[in-house]
Amino acid sequence: MAEASRLLARPDSKASLAAGGTELLPRMKYGLATPQKLISLKGVAAAAPALATDGSVGLDALMTLNAVAASSLVRENTPLLAAAAISVGSNEIRNMATLGGNLCQDSRCLYYNQSHDFQFTAPCFKRGGNRCYFIPEGKKCWAVFMADTAPALICLEAKVHFTGPNGLLTIPLEQLYSNDPLRPVTLAPGEIISRVMIPARPMHRAEAFAKFSWRRGFEFSAVSVAAVLDLEADRQTCRSARIAIGSIAAAPLQAQKAGTVLAGERPNDKVITAAAEQAAMEIRPVPHHGYSRAYLSECIRVQVRRVLHAAMKPFSKHNGRNQHG
Amino acid sequence: MDEYAGKMLIQLNINGELVSLAAEPQETLLDVLRDRLGLTGTKEGCGMGECGTCTVLIDDKPQLACLLLAVECQRQAIITIEGLSKGRQLTSVQEAFLDEGAVQCGFCTPGMVLATTALLTENGQPSEEDIQKALEGHLCRCTGYNKIVSAVQLASKKINLSEKHK
Repeated sequence: MAEASRLLARPDSKASLAAGGTELLPRMKYGLATPQKLISLKGVAAAAPALATDGSVGLDALMTLNAVAASSLVRENTPLLAAAAISVGSNEIRNMATLGGNLCQDSRCLYYNQSHDFQFTAPCFKRGGNRCYFIPEGKKCWAVFMADTAPALICLEAKVHFTGPNGLLTIPLEQLYSNDPLRPVTLAPGEIISRVMIPARPMHRAEAFAKFSWRRGFEFSAVSVAAVLDLEADRQTCRSARIAIGSIAAAPLQAQKAGTVLAGERPNDKVITAAAEQAAMEIRPVPHHGYSRAYLSECIRVQVRRVLHAAMKPFSKHNGRNQHG
Repeated sequence: MDEYAGKMLIQLNINGELVSLAAEPQETLLDVLRDRLGLTGTKEGCGMGECGTCTVLIDDKPQLACLLLAVECQRQAIITIEGLSKGRQLTSVQEAFLDEGAVQCGFCTPGMVLATTALLTENGQPSEEDIQKALEGHLCRCTGYNKIVSAVQLASKKINLSEKHK
C-alpha cells in the first residue's frame, strides 16, 4: 500500500488506482479516465474484519462488498452496513467491487457517464468544459454522488484511515466528502483508504437501510436512506437519531433536523411521519437520471418513513419475537 | 519490430488448464478469452459491467470478464461456460435450462448458467427471491426471465436428487 501511495503521489505519475476496477474500467472505456499507468490492488489480500477490545469494528477497505455483507461480525454489529453493501449493483459487481472503492466513487450524471463521441459537441463542466447538458441553463455541474455504503457508514459515525504522503491519517467519513460534484472525494493524490472503523455498537440500537431504484441490479439508486436510532434503556425512547440520504447531492447528506424530531420521543407512527416530512423538507434533492426534484423529495419522505418503521420493528411491543432479545 | 513489445507474459488457469500467453496490459480477460483463446462462449454485451453476459467464475465466484484485466487474473482458477460440461455430458444446470426452455436466443445463457452454478454451490435450495437476487445483474433481452427462474429451481431439484442417490 505504501508503495502504491508513493507511485500515485509523484507529480508526473498519471497513474490511477484500481481495487475492484468496477468503477475505473467503465470510466476508462468511456474516456472519462485516461491514466497512463494503472496500479492494481488485486494482489493485496484483504484482512479479515476485526473486533477491537473496545467493541469497535475494523474493516479492511479492500474487502469486497459481498464479503462485507457476508461477514458475521458485520451482520451482528452493523446490520445496516450489511444491508447497504448487498444493495450495491449485482452479485458479480459485489464480488469485485470493494468497500474502499465504493466510498471513493466519483459523482455521476446521465450525461457524463457515457460516451461523448457522437452526441455532444463540447465537453460538460465535469469533463473540463463550460456547459451542463442536464440543466442547459446551469452554471455549474450537477453530478450526484451515488455510493450506497456511504450513508450507512455516516449514520454509524465511521472513520476512515488512509495512507498517504503524510503518513497514516484518520478522519470521520463525513469529512471525506466535499459536496463538490467536480471533486466529490477530498483525498489528495497518493492518499488511499486502508481501513474503515465503526465505533462500538451501543446496547440498544435500531437501524435500517433502504435503496430505491426502478431496476435494482442494473441501476444506481434514485435515493438511498440509512437511519440509526440509539435508544434509552427502556428500548422505546429514542436518545439520538441520525438519518443520512444518498444519491441526492454531490455528497451523502444528513437530515439533522429530522433526527432532532426523533430525539427524546417514542418513535411511534406520528413521530416517524413527522420526522419523514421534516427530512423531505430540509433536504433539497438534486434532480438526476430523469428523476425530478419533486419526485425525489417524495421518495425521501416515503423512504425515510419506511426505514424508520423498519428500524423500530424489532422493538415494537407487538413483535413478541424480539421482546427478550 | 518485436511482436511482444509492450506485452506482458502471463499464465492463466482456465478451465483447469494452464495457458501461457503474451497480453497487452490493457486487455480485458474477456478480450483474451474470446480473441486470443477462441473461447467465444463468454459473450460481450455492454462491456460496462451492466448486463452480466460476460460472467465467468473466478475462484468459484461469478465476476465480470469485461471489467477484469487479464494480467490481474493470474494464479486464479477461471471457469468459463466451456469448462462446465464433461465432453457431451452436460451439468444439471445446463440440462435444466434446456428442459425448461430457458434458452431463447442464447446470448445471456452462458452468464446465467455460470451464475446459477455458483448460486447452487453456495445455496442448495434457493428461494425464488434468492434466485432473483443472484441473477439480478443478468439481462435477458428475450425477456424469458420466468423460464430461467424455473430452470434454476429445476436444477436445484436435480442436484439434490442426484446427491440423494449417491
